[in-house]
Amino acid sequence: MDPAAILDHQFRVAAYAVTWVIQLGYLGWLGLKWRAQKRAEKQPR
Amino acid sequence: MKKLAIGIYVLFTIALMVWGYYQAIYVAPNDAMQGEIFRIIYYHVPSWATAFVALSVSLVGSIGYLAFRQNRPVRAQMADAWAVAGAEVGVVFLTVGLTTGPLWGRRAWGIWWTWDARLTTSLVLWLIYVSYLLLRRFAAGSQMQTLAAVLNIFGALDTPIVYMSNRWWRTQHPAPVFGGAPGSGMDPSMVRPFLWNMLAWFCWGVMILAIRYHVERQHQKIAEREAEAALTA
Repeated sequence: MDPAAILDHQFRVAAYAVTWVIQLGYLGWLGLKWRAQKRAEKQPR
Repeated sequence: MKKLAIGIYVLFTIALMVWGYYQAIYVAPNDAMQGEIFRIIYYHVPSWATAFVALSVSLVGSIGYLAFRQNRPVRAQMADAWAVAGAEVGVVFLTVGLTTGPLWGRRAWGIWWTWDARLTTSLVLWLIYVSYLLLRRFAAGSQMQTLAAVLNIFGALDTPIVYMSNRWWRTQHPAPVFGGAPGSGMDPSMVRPFLWNMLAWFCWGVMILAIRYHVERQHQKIAEREAEAALTA
């Protein structure tokens, strides 16, 4: 296989992977924050 | 009923993301000049478009906060929640754009980065909104929301500059694919995968924007409750 095509493939995979790591990382962080606040909300005054 | 509607929307968005990926990888052909690396466009451009939408929501939220803060405190807090949600989601999508761009540029241009107008104004936009979020995180006092809203409005001035930069100036970054110079555009076989990914990322953006708004409103209510408790203690 052409070395340039292999590099293109690796860079494309890296770009897609970075996108998902950022997006899912943020979603996970939001989920944790939501859960922590829900617990704080339930605490008695 | 509300929960069911939210569940359907989330499932619809996930299905769209899977469909968009399938379109980008298995349906769209390789670009004649750039080969497979061109497929980054299906994530890169929708990320920028969604970032602009989120930042627009943030701008409207900040204007709303300034407009309502004297007479309608509840509305002002809701507007402020949209402002912070839009800015944070915008930064997430800008980060995606600023990381996928250099990966594409390294293969297409042979360089990771260059200080041309499009790239520089994009980085400045990211820095402005990171500053906005840092201000909100670390500043305290009753003026914080007002200062943040003013910063947001001034920061938003960079958004149209980013958008127009490769129309106004000659840049390393290519001219716009859509609505650019005569002869610009995309092969019809790539347009449909591109539009599917635009829709998928837009729906994803709306989903996380709504979640972030909800989290911020929850945070405001807890802070309000704590303030009341401190006053009555």
